[in-house]
Amino acid sequence: MEEKPFKALAKSSGHHDSVKPSSKSDIRNLWTMATLSQPKVNVQLTHVYEDSEQESSSVSSGTGHWYNQEKAGPDSDSDRVWEEWSDTDKKASIKQGELDDYTSLELKQRAGSSLRSDSEGVEDPKTKMVSSSISSPRILKHTPHRAYWVEQQNRLPLPLIELMESEALEILTKALQSYRSGIGKDHFLTKQLQRYIEGLKRRRNKRQHVSVH
Amino acid sequence: MKLKPGSFLWYLYLDKLYCLLSLRNVKALVDYFHLLDVHRNNTLNDVLFYHFLHHVTNWNRRQIMSVFNMLDWDAVGEIGFDQFYMLVCILLAQQNHLEEQFVFRHSRPVFELLEKDGELRIGAENSHMYKFLFNIKEEEIREFYHDFDIIGDCRLNYKEFKLFTIFAMDKYLEKQKAEKKDKQNEVLLQNSKSHVV
Repeated sequence: MEEKPFKALAKSSGHHDSVKPSSKSDIRNLWTMATLSQPKVNVQLTHVYEDSEQESSSVSSGTGHWYNQEKAGPDSDSDRVWEEWSDTDKKASIKQGELDDYTSLELKQRAGSSLRSDSEGVEDPKTKMVSSSISSPRILKHTPHRAYWVEQQNRLPLPLIELMESEALEILTKALQSYRSGIGKDHFLTKQLQRYIEGLKRRRNKRQHVSVH
Repeated sequence: MKLKPGSFLWYLYLDKLYCLLSLRNVKALVDYFHLLDVHRNNTLNDVLFYHFLHHVTNWNRRQIMSVFNMLDWDAVGEIGFDQFYMLVCILLAQQNHLEEQFVFRHSRPVFELLEKDGELRIGAENSHMYKFLFNIKEEEIREFYHDFDIIGDCRLNYKEFKLFTIFAMDKYLEKQKAEKKDKQNEVLLQNSKSHVV
């Protein structure tokens, strides 16, 4: 912000209204499927790293160790492994498809079967890894919550979104009263604001309902 | 001016050296702006702007509307994200007592904000803006014109204003050093007293 005013993004990425409720892209699925599976990870973790196609975002490394999914080799889309991540300068982001593959893999492990999925192209070495049931207590202790990780890469944290929406709701409710007294309740701007407020309330209630259940 | 504790802006912070928001903070601010952009124009009208500032600050209506008129530099009756971002930086600079640094680092945009009518001069009529936006006191404003009005027209051009920001910054740093020294002396004194005891 020196000579010219700061030229911020013209459009927001629209995270608050562009998340489609598909099973692959909806973060809430990760929260429901991944959360419970975390303590039961029995997969061998090896060292692989992959760049994401999404816009790069730096990892907020925090104070602990972070883990990242990586490809074992060029042929396997679904070779998913975790590695220990040093909390400094590496950038990492995870493809949504990779996470979903990993999540489905975990579900299979939970079911107690070492399955080979032809559709995912899982190779023998991977199946072997899956069934080997090697787990490191140190790694398990430091494995991050995957849904939280994805959230950090792609969108604002939910508590922050909730704070923003609550505050916006309070401000806009008062603005609605000003609109009604200033331009009347039948004016199209007043109605637009009213509809917007109702939409915001519905979205908030939906999110709270999901988090409760 | 104090930001309302627990409000969204209250959680943001400026980089202390450059007095700008980090990318992460800007992203959050963009989303916040779009939450308030009810009519999907990428702007806030005067009503929304008033209620936003009334909610997060302790400014009165007159102050809020003068800020709106100042930021509406295109005179379209709405403010866009650029102006909103600048306002948030000013608010955070006040909140975190970084006014001198902010004015020093961003002297050009601040000057353009304060000068009216495109004359590239700041006059005494703008003084009330300095006070409540940048916390500049009455005696400082008088000193301001007395020491830096080189041309003598009772108005400051950009170069005179820039000189003022440099001197204000130096004064601020000296004040910080003096305060730090005082604290160190106090600590030493307390330590020596405790040793004696």
